[in-house]
Amino acid sequence: MAKLPTPQMLVASRPAFPDKSWLDTKPEFTPGSFCYPAKKETMELLHMPNPHDWDPAAEDWNLPENWEKILCDAFADRLEKHRSLKLFMDICVRCGACADKCHFFLGTNDPKNMPVLRAELLRSLYRRDYTMLGKILGKKAGARGWDMSVVKELFYYAYQCTECRRCSLFCPYGIDTAEITAIVRELLHEVGLGIHWIMDPVKNCSFTGNHLGIQPHSFVEIVEMLADDCETITGIRPKTPFNEKGHEILFITPSGDVFADPGIYTFMGYLMLFHELDLDYTFSTYASEGGNFGSFTSFNMAKKLNAKMYAEAERLGVKWILGGECGHMWRVINQYMDTYNGPSPANMEVPVSPITGTVFSNAASTKMVHIAEFTADLIRHNKLRLDPSRNDHIITTFHDSCNPARAMGLLDEPRYVLRHVCNNFVEMPENTIREQTFCCGAGSGLNTEEIMELRMRSGMPRGNALRYVQQKDGVNHMACVCAIDRATLPPLADYWAPGVTVSGLHELVGNALIMKGEGKRTMDMRQEDLPNVAEDEPEESPADAPEAQGEGQ
Amino acid sequence: MNIQEIFRSQKNDVVRLWTEAVYSTYPFETTGFLRTKRDPFGNPVAHMTREAAGTLYDAVAGEEVEIDTVKAALERFVKLRAVQTFTPSQGLGVFYLMKPLLRERILPALAAQAELDAYLTAESRLDSLALLAFDIYTAARETLAESRIKEIRNQHAQLARWAQRLEEGPSGAR
Ligand code: SF4
Ligand code: SF4
Repeated sequence: MAKLPTPQMLVASRPAFPDKSWLDTKPEFTPGSFCYPAKKETMELLHMPNPHDWDPAAEDWNLPENWEKILCDAFADRLEKHRSLKLFMDICVRCGACADKCHFFLGTNDPKNMPVLRAELLRSLYRRDYTMLGKILGKKAGARGWDMSVVKELFYYAYQCTECRRCSLFCPYGIDTAEITAIVRELLHEVGLGIHWIMDPVKNCSFTGNHLGIQPHSFVEIVEMLADDCETITGIRPKTPFNEKGHEILFITPSGDVFADPGIYTFMGYLMLFHELDLDYTFSTYASEGGNFGSFTSFNMAKKLNAKMYAEAERLGVKWILGGECGHMWRVINQYMDTYNGPSPANMEVPVSPITGTVFSNAASTKMVHIAEFTADLIRHNKLRLDPSRNDHIITTFHDSCNPARAMGLLDEPRYVLRHVCNNFVEMPENTIREQTFCCGAGSGLNTEEIMELRMRSGMPRGNALRYVQQKDGVNHMACVCAIDRATLPPLADYWAPGVTVSGLHELVGNALIMKGEGKRTMDMRQEDLPNVAEDEPEESPADAPEAQGEGQ
Repeated sequence: MNIQEIFRSQKNDVVRLWTEAVYSTYPFETTGFLRTKRDPFGNPVAHMTREAAGTLYDAVAGEEVEIDTVKAALERFVKLRAVQTFTPSQGLGVFYLMKPLLRERILPALAAQAELDAYLTAESRLDSLALLAFDIYTAARETLAESRIKEIRNQHAQLARWAQRLEEGPSGAR
């Protein structure tokens, strides 16, 4: 009889690290550990370099014959172009301050998910060609050359970094591993390596405006359905102005909130708020996607997709742009937009709230205001009638989305709004919020279902902190200001803190907002019964059963 | 020493050794970090492992512990193992790493007092706890599978509704 393995033998899975240095330990491409590759046709349509069919699990990735030269040249080019990259390559002292700050490392315990080693994957290549020591001593000085396994490793770990920048917060030199990851992804694109979940939305945004590629007229119809839902809830049908010239404001938000549950409820919150304010604004079908998956691809692609915002602001003749709840959209606006596509069109002005007269001088350059700032300012000036008790059925916490928090410092405005629309607000532990917030685990285009398992471990530090306040304070809700979060946090909560629901900030604003002439509210934005509704007039017939698709939360 | 005292006297050691055995299922470079950093949010894997270790030992030792408490303590740990890059046997096999520790630390003392029965009962309790973990593990994997489907559905929720209306014709439209 064959010998059965003992438990000790079964769990003896530790890779032979003591035998091999980390540089020689290679990742395994098992299902669930990598994203599906981008389709060749997609890459062709987008004029990406070297489009080809390939499979991450296969031995041969079908790279172009001269791939090594392409990558070396591209790397040299990026070093020339971005002084920050050269600096990041040179100055790391391997102090390790960043090592345990990455949620991927905390969830996977894979040493190469320590930011310092993630960057070292590229730095080792840099050393060979650009440092004297590396040239002479080679491997002894941590230098190595390009080979296929290095390319595979770069791919593996560049798509296990959500470009969240938590690590850079702790680096004494401010080395931004997120930017290194962005460059690695850009390099890989030079030899035709990209992932489907990013490139498909890029294609759709390029050709039709939104990430699902829905035609403009259909997009408008879908938004009108949401306005109908607002009417069902409040008795007031908000207007849905599209592509109209001559308004003061252009509103741009991620299109995910038009299509996806629970983002749609946040979108309805916007519609109701703008209607109540009688805001002089328009949507655009051309610039109907605030999110920018180009920023997960290459700088040029990010620039191209971002350009639509100003192009549309110019065509429609608006004074400024109001932007919805999104993560990386704001990183692009706050950090790159000026350089990419600035200065803003001549018809644009420094944003001024038409309701309160507040000048948003922080947006003097980009002319774009975040909706959380806008709404916080309204509340501050007492311009909204709010009934926070309509949110009494929830005890909410707030997840700081990485990009608004770390890339633009939007920390207090959403909290200010939240405190005014909800009576029960609880913070998660200090080292998991604000600047130190833990990523949802699936940002930067990793919110695809084939890596759900990976997402559950990279999102574990966030899920774990959520579970803590769920048990300690009875938290049953988590608000956020990012469309990707609204997609990624529900499964994360279902796994780590089942029973916690997720919504955008303006869904809760929509619940609390008392609109002029509205009917008695008996349901929340999801058309679920509002608790604590006093039964005064028995006149109304029971509301028709909500027909929302997707699961009622 | 009575049986309970024997178990209690060994708790710290067994818990520590078992925790280390679990840590050693992770790459070598990581073990030091797991062992040293105490912050429950800065080092969640270690925190989960330690929580599971203490409760697991108490339950094996036959201390008065509610099944719900045990479940809650094991849950985070098992859920973590269920989504890390382990096979199911590696994920859950760590529970059996407590056996050799018990045999080394507890068995001789109990044998000396002719309390073999008590020892075997403790081992059986460990077996039951491993089965309990198996339930948690399976449920976690099911949640994972459901999440994939739910996510696809949620992504297109509004689109599906719109398409349905088109199909229904004008009566369904506003
Ligand atoms: S940017 Fe975020 S995901 Fe990337 S290495 Fe740093 S902490 Fe990790
Ligand atoms: S904290 Fe900065 S300097 Fe220190 S290892 Fe990390 S990247 Fe290098």
